Amino acid sequence: MKRAEDSRNEPSSSPTATDWRRIVKSRMLVAAVAFGVWGAFIEVRLLDLQVFRRTDLLARAERQQNRTIPAEAKRGEIVDRHGRVLAYSVDADSVFAVPSEIDNADRTAAALCEVLSECTERERESFGERLRRQSPFVFIRRLISPEECRRLEGLNLRGIKFLKESRRFYPNRELAAHLLGWVGIENKGMGGIEWSYDKQIRGRAGAVLIQTDARQQAFSRVGRPPTAGATLELTIDEYLQHIAERELHAGIVAARAEAGTALIMDPRTGEILAVANEPTFNPNNIRSSTEDARRNRAVQDLYEPGSTFKIVTASAAIEEHVWSPQDIVDAGHGFIRFGARQIDEYNMHAYGAISFTDVFVKSSNVGAIRVGLKVGAERIGRYVHRFGFGRRISSDFPSENGGIVWDPARWNESTLASVSMGYEIGVTPLQMAAAVSSVANGGNLIEPRLVRAVIHGNERAEIAPRVLRRTITAATAAELTTIMEKVVVDGTAKRAAVPGYMVAGKTGTAQKLINGNYSHTNYNASFVGFVPSRNPALTIIVVIDSPRAGGYTGGLIAAPIFKRIAQASLQHLGLPPSINPSAPLTVFRHSAQSDGAASLRVTANDQTPPLEVFAGAPGMPDVRGLSAREAVRTLARLGIVARLRGTGIVTEQEPSAGAPLDGIASSLLVLNRLAPQAQSVALAVEQP
Amino acid sequence: MKTTEKRQAAGRGTIELDTAGYGVRKDVRNNPVREVDTARQRELWRSVAVGLLLVVVLLFSAWQRVEQLRYGYLVEQLQKQRAAEEETARHLRLEIETLRAPARIERLATEQLHLVAPDKDAAIVIERITQPEPPPKSVIARR
Repeated sequence: MKRAEDSRNEPSSSPTATDWRRIVKSRMLVAAVAFGVWGAFIEVRLLDLQVFRRTDLLARAERQQNRTIPAEAKRGEIVDRHGRVLAYSVDADSVFAVPSEIDNADRTAAALCEVLSECTERERESFGERLRRQSPFVFIRRLISPEECRRLEGLNLRGIKFLKESRRFYPNRELAAHLLGWVGIENKGMGGIEWSYDKQIRGRAGAVLIQTDARQQAFSRVGRPPTAGATLELTIDEYLQHIAERELHAGIVAARAEAGTALIMDPRTGEILAVANEPTFNPNNIRSSTEDARRNRAVQDLYEPGSTFKIVTASAAIEEHVWSPQDIVDAGHGFIRFGARQIDEYNMHAYGAISFTDVFVKSSNVGAIRVGLKVGAERIGRYVHRFGFGRRISSDFPSENGGIVWDPARWNESTLASVSMGYEIGVTPLQMAAAVSSVANGGNLIEPRLVRAVIHGNERAEIAPRVLRRTITAATAAELTTIMEKVVVDGTAKRAAVPGYMVAGKTGTAQKLINGNYSHTNYNASFVGFVPSRNPALTIIVVIDSPRAGGYTGGLIAAPIFKRIAQASLQHLGLPPSINPSAPLTVFRHSAQSDGAASLRVTANDQTPPLEVFAGAPGMPDVRGLSAREAVRTLARLGIVARLRGTGIVTEQEPSAGAPLDGIASSLLVLNRLAPQAQSVALAVEQP
Repeated sequence: MKTTEKRQAAGRGTIELDTAGYGVRKDVRNNPVREVDTARQRELWRSVAVGLLLVVVLLFSAWQRVEQLRYGYLVEQLQKQRAAEEETARHLRLEIETLRAPARIERLATEQLHLVAPDKDAAIVIERITQPEPPPKSVIARR
């Protein structure tokens, strides 16, 4: 059996060895050929990819892996003089569509319109038309509100996508809208300071190269980052701006006027503190505003100033020594004629012979004309130019109207008469405020400024005040100030008086020129003045267009608005009264860091007796220097019984000033006829 | 007599055949004795070392590339987070400024809390706070 198996295997063992070699050989040959073909294929493929199609594939790879996206620069902030934000940029969503992904354009358009605000039927049709386009990308609406974005995302519409774009916001809404202007859809300034300083605010866009992997995930980012725009620090005081807008609005509503403007300026530096215009607009929603509402009347609108311009006439008369304040002027019988033209006094007042001062205090037209005629056209014209009329006065307002001033060489008597009382000349409220500020500061015409500093990165470049020229001498300015004070105290501007403060100003009422004729129903009522008159901090001008209720003159309409603005502004600025200033108030304030031994003494004008403060808790007041009655009243308010010794004013006290009040029931006050030496200086801070 | 015949065997050694025809394989190893070639060995080791070094360098390079990618993703993610946080901060600042608007505060004070503006006698100015005038060019802290 075994032999049989051997004999069966034997013949095949020898051929198997041969076959094995053959098989291996053949297989190796096949493998070698396969490897060869495979290698050749790879080589060919590599040759194709790396040589023949190299350029094309490189470009495709660049497109797929590298994305260069423009990096938009953030617009710089606009802040007020205290750093409070007036304009600010944040990212907002814009809606776009990929039409090829949208099945039903009409239904999508309807859904979009339902969510987006102010969507009209026409806009809905426009959406539908855009969604049907054969375009890979169409904008639906740009810079929508976060609420709209949330609602749209909630709808989860196919083919509707969002992208981030920078959007300008004005957190105070209408506040200072005319000064700030607004920004267009392409993040470009379109009005106001946004436009005039667009180059600085806009910054410089950058470009970022992003490398992505096959899943479009970014893993590298190189390039030029954007340079943020400069921050503008305005001269505006946010709260003064609010006061001006609030009071102007109230005044316009009360007078049922068509429009108006109010401007507050620092006469010493030319810094504009507030500019209010009515009607106004919300720059956050520019689409709903009218062009008329967007006009900055303070710098764009011309008006005939009327009697406020008599300040220029008086300046020329005094400066040129043609008239002195004590001279008598014949104001006649209430009118004056130039050929066929008759100019009347307000209400046909026949002032007769009045002093030069009274010409302006009573705002006599005939008197001002007589003054102007004697001064002459050449000299009046020179002062009109000196005060900055007839040309743009500030570089911060590119849209400023330069005004209208005819050539004085061609003035006839009638024109000179008109100019002398503020007619036949077109000025802006800004020019008028600057002119009066030059009287307030002693005769320097300072360029009105709106931008206080430009902040690039961490460097702040302040813009210095610029004196344009000297208009009048300090002596003339003082004479005019006295006259203007009398206007408020005794003259046409009694309603402009601010209790506690001396105000200097001048009213103006001018008929409006409508279609070439002076209207008998539409007037420009104005008041311009400065306060406190002897140490001016604020120049304020109020111009009301076409008042319909409560009168139409500057004294009745504009002066009360001036008063309310001035009163609130002075209180906000903490300026002490200029009439009968009260005794200084002394406060001992212990520093929070100190151990109680060191304290600050702060004094300010006020009628309240000195008060000692210990870390928020009142201490024993310093009643030295007060009369016995005042001292007793002061202590009684604190529940302390006063024991008096002697007569006169308090010279000594026990317990001494500053002692903690706990446990003090009575105080001994030593009175004396000799007053203690005054030691407080208003608004001074000193270390004891 | 015993005769022997030497037959050269294929391969290893010779086979001696006796008269009986039986052969005894005499394993005479004739392998050449190779001496250790130290120079060649050194060269070999050097090559191995160089090869290993190349491999290590390649591995290190690959590891670096992988790490670079990994950190690239991480940096990208952190940059996105930072941008988002900055944007949130900007939104919050805008909200604060909106809430601080004087008109809004005045409306709340007068309409909801029924407050009135103090008259000039009710408000006592203790200290007038004035901002110090900065020099014309100065480095300021970022607001």
